[in-house]
Amino acid sequence: MTGSAIVGFVLLLAAAPLIPGVAVRAKSLATGRRGAPIFQLYYDLAKQWRRGTVYSGTASSVVRLAPVASLVTAVVAAALVPLDGDRALFAFGGDVIAFASVLALGRFVLVLGALDTGSSLPGMGASRDVTVSVFAEVALFTTLIGLSAATQGGDSLSVMLRGAVAGPNTATAVTLLALAMLAVLLAEAGRGPVDDPATHLELTMIHEVMILDHGGPDLTLLFYAAALRFSMLGAVIVGLFVPAWPAAGALAATAGLLLVLAAVVGVIEGTTARLRLVRIPQFLVVATVLAALATVLGAH
Amino acid sequence: MGLGLLALAVGIGAAGRSRRALAPVVVALTVAGSLGTALAGALALLTGRGGTLSWASGLPVGPWLVGLDALSAWFVLVIGLVGAATALWGLASLASDASRAVSGTHGLLAALIGACVLVVTAQAAITFLMAWEAMTLASYLLVVYHDDEEEIRRAGRRYLVVTHAGVLALILMFGLWSAGGASLGFDALAGRSAALGPTRDAILVLALAGFGIKAGFVPLHFWLPPAHAGAPSHVSAMLSGVMIKTGIYGLLRVGMMVGALPTWWGWTLVVVGAASGILGVLWALAQHDIKRLLAYHSVENIGIILLGMGVGALGTTAGNPTLAILGYGGALLHVLNHALFKSLLFLAAGNVVHATGTRMMDQLGGVGRALPRTWFAFAVGAAAIVGLPPLNGFLSEWLIFRGMFAAGPLGGHLTLLLWGIPTLGLIGALALACFTKVCGVTFLGTPRTAAARDAHGESLGLAGPPLALAALCLLVGLSPMWVFPPVFAIATQVAQLPPSAALTASAAIHPTAAAVTVLGLTLIAGLLLVGWLRRRQLGRHPAPIAPTWGCGYATATPRMQYTASSFAAPLLDTAAALAPLEIARTDTMLATHPVDPVLDRALDPAWRGLVRLAQRLMPLDRARVHVHLLLVVGALLMLLLMLATGWGLG
Repeated sequence: MTGSAIVGFVLLLAAAPLIPGVAVRAKSLATGRRGAPIFQLYYDLAKQWRRGTVYSGTASSVVRLAPVASLVTAVVAAALVPLDGDRALFAFGGDVIAFASVLALGRFVLVLGALDTGSSLPGMGASRDVTVSVFAEVALFTTLIGLSAATQGGDSLSVMLRGAVAGPNTATAVTLLALAMLAVLLAEAGRGPVDDPATHLELTMIHEVMILDHGGPDLTLLFYAAALRFSMLGAVIVGLFVPAWPAAGALAATAGLLLVLAAVVGVIEGTTARLRLVRIPQFLVVATVLAALATVLGAH
Repeated sequence: MGLGLLALAVGIGAAGRSRRALAPVVVALTVAGSLGTALAGALALLTGRGGTLSWASGLPVGPWLVGLDALSAWFVLVIGLVGAATALWGLASLASDASRAVSGTHGLLAALIGACVLVVTAQAAITFLMAWEAMTLASYLLVVYHDDEEEIRRAGRRYLVVTHAGVLALILMFGLWSAGGASLGFDALAGRSAALGPTRDAILVLALAGFGIKAGFVPLHFWLPPAHAGAPSHVSAMLSGVMIKTGIYGLLRVGMMVGALPTWWGWTLVVVGAASGILGVLWALAQHDIKRLLAYHSVENIGIILLGMGVGALGTTAGNPTLAILGYGGALLHVLNHALFKSLLFLAAGNVVHATGTRMMDQLGGVGRALPRTWFAFAVGAAAIVGLPPLNGFLSEWLIFRGMFAAGPLGGHLTLLLWGIPTLGLIGALALACFTKVCGVTFLGTPRTAAARDAHGESLGLAGPPLALAALCLLVGLSPMWVFPPVFAIATQVAQLPPSAALTASAAIHPTAAAVTVLGLTLIAGLLLVGWLRRRQLGRHPAPIAPTWGCGYATATPRMQYTASSFAAPLLDTAAALAPLEIARTDTMLATHPVDPVLDRALDPAWRGLVRLAQRLMPLDRARVHVHLLLVVGALLMLLLMLATGWGLG
């Protein structure tokens, strides 16, 4: 546990709501509008935190547990992501599997929370979310084996990302992996063209409709967790390109690249139409194929 | 001693099978016997000492031999723990069944537990086969407990026939192995392995068939879901949690006795494991019956165990101790883990059936409100089976994952093991989809029928055993530093590694075990902390209760909720080729029926074809006298011809 890892972790936690803010701003600009301030999510979080909430008479304690679990799993997973180009706050052999599993725990409770109120709308979101996540998970794990192959077999996120930049002749593989990982990010963080976080119609949502029955502090936790998931998956992609500079330089590079990535995501969202639900698996299968290609390149 | 108590329980159960007052006595003996054997297993593991007992059999095949080595002790521990929990639950469950001789049923369960223990401790082929047969018969009689239902009688018959086909393969296997030798003791057989030559491959194929039928991996699984779903729930727990693992034990034992395993063995296990894992969970996703769904998940988990065994076997053949330890270690730990959470899930599902009278999830909903303890235990078991931290399922899958990552840089065909990682990831994600469906549709939301609304009855006897198993799941999940050493020690023996190489390999894994514990504790502490913060913040405002928001629609009914079928529909649509559904549609109704491709699309049509062929031949039988005479003369002529040429007489 190094000083720079702690600084990076704290910075990530603090800056997480900024990343979706930048994405939304970039999307607005790409579609010819001015858009909300990039710090808007901070104001929203503070407002929701001070509000009260209403619970459904059908719901049990699961709906109350879901926001808490969503936040805690996001924070714990974020601790496994290296930000200073070297080592994560919490790194150990096999932590990539823990990374995926901790995020899966968050999803498990969130989906149950959606089914808890007995409403067909969150139920629909839950069903779609698990469907998308099946394909996203395969793409994620294929990306991970690509990374492992490109870095002579690590199974710690820190080792993998460190090796990705140091390895020779891996430029093509790393680019392919970054593209695959970007698709995973779009799916897992609920951004376009997989999901539409800004739509007004529940029937077209995935993540937003799952958390339809939450309000007040619960909604704060859920929004913040979603922002953090977006930021840390982005940090994994960015980590592929951060060179082995001294810790301070690497941290700055991570931060700068993360903002660029957020803008890219915003532009993608602004310029592409949302995919039909039946096309989403195909989108993620393409990502899997890219990652598989990178794996073959890296392994030989 | 534990076995003695079990035997006593069987005896009393048999003698007093119609006297209900004896039921607690039988169960008490069963529980004591199970815990006793579990203790014996644990002690043997801790002290590293086993023992062998032998009796003269009076048969020309050598004495009865029973012994306890590390591998046996591990399985004995698993059987004992689950056996005790299921027996206790059975007492509470069958107490409400006034129509039957329940003491006899309790005695049969004791016999099943005892037979399982004998199977994993037998050290000679004949002892093994006798115990195997006893296990099959006891389990058959328990499966057809509800013998007034035709469907269950059919499932039982199929189970009996298929299992005996497996026994034939095993008898053939031991026969080939002994090749006329005097002794059928496992030591003697192992000693003969070096000189086997190509017979070794035949033995391994027969083992795969014989033990595969018991373990129930694809495509030999088809008997399993109907039999496990139809049995009383504690019997399902015993069958799915423990008995199918004797197939895994058999494969491990044969692997140890054969010695040097060929490379194709490891790869076969990996491929069969991956197929079982993916297809098992996909088919589970299509089920509407909660117990059939759980039974299909056993197919999936057997697949995960086989994946681990395959990684381990490939590690041994390639001389890589890290791979062998991680693979076999993960497989062995998953045997324990699956036994714990699968029996938990079956017992909890049994409580739901008790309280509502139905196994169909689409008839349920909101049951968690009436059965809070059952729901809690089921949720823990579901998270564990999906492989989520900080529970035990995560630990074993983590080991298998790490084994496959470790294979990446080894080069050659071993690099291909990397592709097992997305496979295992896919299995996990599908399991998550499946168990959120079960939990959400059964325990959450609004009751869909009167039966679900009137759900009641969760006595301590029914809720206690699943809760105890849930505690064990969490305990194992949080203590890898205590669980790994004995598991790695057994894996060393199974992998036939020199202890020094194994020690080096496992020493590299131990530091990360502590990290996993830290991860689990951090998650729990984080949940408590954030939960407290949230509660404090909410305390400043009233949190009124209101009806669920209906999106502006005022007359929402429970039938509008997402059901088990609609929840899984998007996923099943994308996988329609692998997990087909039969869809019945009328103007006002739509019903889907899950199809098992092996049974419904391959075996049943083949069998019907055979029957049709036989019917086509039937007219011959009913023909007139001169046709019969012609047949007799023809047969005689053929016999004479054979005698004349000497063909077929050897």
